Amino acid sequence: MPKRWEVYPGKSQVLFSGRCISAKNLSVFYLTLALIVISSCLFLAFDCRLLAVTLSPSVPVLAAVQFIFVLCCLLRTTFSDPGIIPRGTPDEAAWIESQLEGPQVDRDGNYRPPVRLKDVQISGRVFKLKYCFTCKLWRPPRASHCSTCDNCVDRFDHHCPWVGNCVGRRNYRYFYLFLISLSVYCLYVMVFGIVNLVLLAFFSIWSVVGLGGFHTMLICRETSTNEDIKGSFNQRRHPDLINPFDQGNGLANCCYVLFGPVTPSLLNFREDEIGLGSSISLVTNNGRNGTASAAAASTAVTATPAVRYSNLTRNNNDATSNSVGHVNNSVQVISESLPAQLPGDGNDVIVKNGNGTPADGVISGGTDTVGAQNSNTQSASSVHCIV
Amino acid sequence: MSSSKPLPNSYSATILPPANKAFVPRDYSHGTELRFSTELPAKLQGRIPEEVFTAVIGNINQLLIAAETGSASVYLESCFACLTGYLAYLCMETQYEKCLRSVSRLVEEYNRTVFGPRNLSMIDPSERGLRVIEIVLLRP
Repeated sequence: MPKRWEVYPGKSQVLFSGRCISAKNLSVFYLTLALIVISSCLFLAFDCRLLAVTLSPSVPVLAAVQFIFVLCCLLRTTFSDPGIIPRGTPDEAAWIESQLEGPQVDRDGNYRPPVRLKDVQISGRVFKLKYCFTCKLWRPPRASHCSTCDNCVDRFDHHCPWVGNCVGRRNYRYFYLFLISLSVYCLYVMVFGIVNLVLLAFFSIWSVVGLGGFHTMLICRETSTNEDIKGSFNQRRHPDLINPFDQGNGLANCCYVLFGPVTPSLLNFREDEIGLGSSISLVTNNGRNGTASAAAASTAVTATPAVRYSNLTRNNNDATSNSVGHVNNSVQVISESLPAQLPGDGNDVIVKNGNGTPADGVISGGTDTVGAQNSNTQSASSVHCIV
Repeated sequence: MSSSKPLPNSYSATILPPANKAFVPRDYSHGTELRFSTELPAKLQGRIPEEVFTAVIGNINQLLIAAETGSASVYLESCFACLTGYLAYLCMETQYEKCLRSVSRLVEEYNRTVFGPRNLSMIDPSERGLRVIEIVLLRP
């Protein structure tokens, strides 16, 4: 004896031995399901990691609860009977159809289809009931025949391909709750996705924006970070000090700092070293020149805390052509700032090579010792004071 | 029905209604509520007194209308089911199902007391999709 689901005549798909029923074509439903499941998994796997720690572990828990509720409503809508009215038995059909005015042909030979409407008064309003020839029944008010599923469905709403079933009396509430819960869930995921993004970018945003703002302020005041930290031009600490570099106007300061003249690099690293001149290494306390000179170095250092060369080599050409003059200037500067007594013979400044050995010549007065070229590969070991 | 032209295939004038069955149709005059017509079918004339028949159908109607009436317990039951994601419906029976079961029990009772002695048999309307109440004439 076959079960009723095995002899079901409609176009719906019966699943799980009659426990579920849905439309035949479920492809759009699978899309709906995939969209919901994939985006939920991505949200729970990635966004919730930060949110659970930063905000509260209830964020992913609530998301999971909503996700399950949405799925329950969706599955109920898809796989439950929407309110299909079972087809009339053949006996019933025969009884009803015998009562209907059959097809008639009138005097003119025109074929009139059988009358299959009957009027019903519901609360004073006339409804026309139709006889469904496919389902062999008088369709109740508000019922309608779905051509996709080939069934009459009570309180027929519509056939929804997204859900893969008709929406009728029995599953309308699940359909509606699915829509509402999915809307709420979408909003929830969107809000917390944005929160996640803000949290991730929070520190970077505030650090970079803050720093950018700080430097904008410095530029407008024509102050460097160092000066700001030290409070060199801080009006509150030194009220009588003004910033002499301030052009008076924030905009003018900005223009000068950002769009003012660009100084070229003075290092000229790409030029040949030969134009650099002898490495005048003052015996200082950097210790690389050996312990013998250390004692001497210390006195030199204390005597000459700062030595300034004025452009030892502006460029090669200058070095070779004007070297004497330049060296003279340099020497004069040195001699002015050096103590009377220097280590070595008299007032001679001992020119040392880069490797610490004395050079061929000695600078004293105007002696040209630039010609004494040193291989200055070990410039790192001697001290060049370049400002 | 007389016609000089052939009838379309979907209709057959030769199908006769079954002689041993009477059908009580749905009564939609009060809307979509579950109600059957209390009018005595022609085939049952003389087999059963009209007032008995009316009372029987009336009682069945009462139970069916109660099944579709919303009451506080029904609303609570639905809210509870909603909160469980409708998983509760997998374990419990709804009010409507309970009412339909009581209708089945009533029909059995009537078959025993009212229809059986008159050689009639009433088929539970749930078996007929709540479209009609079928009454089988066991003996012509």
